Amino acid sequence: MSLMFTCDDKATLVAYLYNEIDAPDRQRVDDHLRQCAACAAEVGALANVRTGLTQWAPPNAELGFTIVRSGGSQQAAGAPPAAVLRPAQWWNTVPVWAQAVAAILVLAVSAAIANVQVKSGPDGLVVSTGWMTPASASPAAAVVPDAGSEQWRTALIALESQLREEIRASRETGVVRAASRSEVDDVTVNRVRALLEASETRQQRELALRVTQLARDMDIQRRADLLRVEQAIGHTGVEMLKQRQTLNYMIRASTTTPPQ
Amino acid sequence: MVATDEELVARSMAGDAESFNQLVLRWERPIYALAYRVIGRDEDARDVAQETFLRAFRALPGFKGQAKFSSWLYRIALNLCRDWIRRKKRTPVVEMPEDVDFIEMAADQGPVESIEDLVARNEMSRIVAEGMKLLPDEQRTAIVLKEYHGLTFQEIADLQGCPLSTVKTRLYQGLSVLRKHLESQGMTSFASGRTS
Repeated sequence: MSLMFTCDDKATLVAYLYNEIDAPDRQRVDDHLRQCAACAAEVGALANVRTGLTQWAPPNAELGFTIVRSGGSQQAAGAPPAAVLRPAQWWNTVPVWAQAVAAILVLAVSAAIANVQVKSGPDGLVVSTGWMTPASASPAAAVVPDAGSEQWRTALIALESQLREEIRASRETGVVRAASRSEVDDVTVNRVRALLEASETRQQRELALRVTQLARDMDIQRRADLLRVEQAIGHTGVEMLKQRQTLNYMIRASTTTPPQ
Repeated sequence: MVATDEELVARSMAGDAESFNQLVLRWERPIYALAYRVIGRDEDARDVAQETFLRAFRALPGFKGQAKFSSWLYRIALNLCRDWIRRKKRTPVVEMPEDVDFIEMAADQGPVESIEDLVARNEMSRIVAEGMKLLPDEQRTAIVLKEYHGLTFQEIADLQGCPLSTVKTRLYQGLSVLRKHLESQGMTSFASGRTS
């Protein structure tokens, strides 16, 4: 730098602005600024711009990148294994209370879909699931305590006799009947198992659909609410800025107008 | 005691991926902020930040430590930003964050900053972002590195591959353009000036 700072030495002016300048050069610029109003105004304006720049902030993005090894053990030493970076899992960013609410919702929806029923009866508490209707024997069973007639007793005796006959007959042809019953049981068990699996799959699918729909609805509602608040406040903010500018103008005008 | 970048780099080079993850945690936000301010798009800035760390991890055996780890990361990120701008063949578009929740922001700021101040700050942020969009790539990058990352003139010159005087010129020209833009928007004075 020359002995005197000149107005066109913008490089030194920038060094001064960012305080990356040695003491003698700083002193020269200071001396110049005391005498040159234009340079002093420029330094002030550029410093002002720097203050304005501090207002610009990037979005508060959720990052959480992580190196994930892929097949790292067989990699050659010295060479980093192939890796991918993945963002943080979304549920890590959800507040604990929201996770708890979501868990309760999932349980409630699951219970609704599975039709969980708890009944208290003479045999204690009975927990049942599923949408299957009770067997048609139930109404009959309900009638039984009321039928105390002789006719009902006769029917029971006849039924007992019939059962005893069948048991006796089964003892005579025990091997064959046992074999056939086993085959029937296997088929039935397989059929019931298939039905259960299909039912579980359907219930899981329905649960996933309902949870997805619920999350989507909540997100849409949240966005709509945020938009409304932003529009309301943004409108107010613009009005306030206009008022402030008008006020500033009036103050300037009042201070510069000569007295009559 | 908190490990230095150099210590974490050494451990990472010895095969400790967790140490590298600590470096990622330490530098992901500055790198994302750099990318966002240079290319101006949130999603793309995330991609650039992610790719920066991925490339750094893969190139770690070649890192000789002549430069600071942060400078090395900045270089990778800036190269990716440059590629992004070239590939997209468009000027950076600065988008404002969506769903700005002023009430939530005010709560984060505590009782000091009112909603009115937040609205004004948001407006100022928008105007600055628009002004930055007007700058050529080199000027904008120089200002971002200087203002938001505190790099020295020499560090910026090394990153941009240009003489020291060129960096100062870019800063001066960029600030002058921004000054005109702010003045045209009626933003002539702020809470406090600064000269360092």
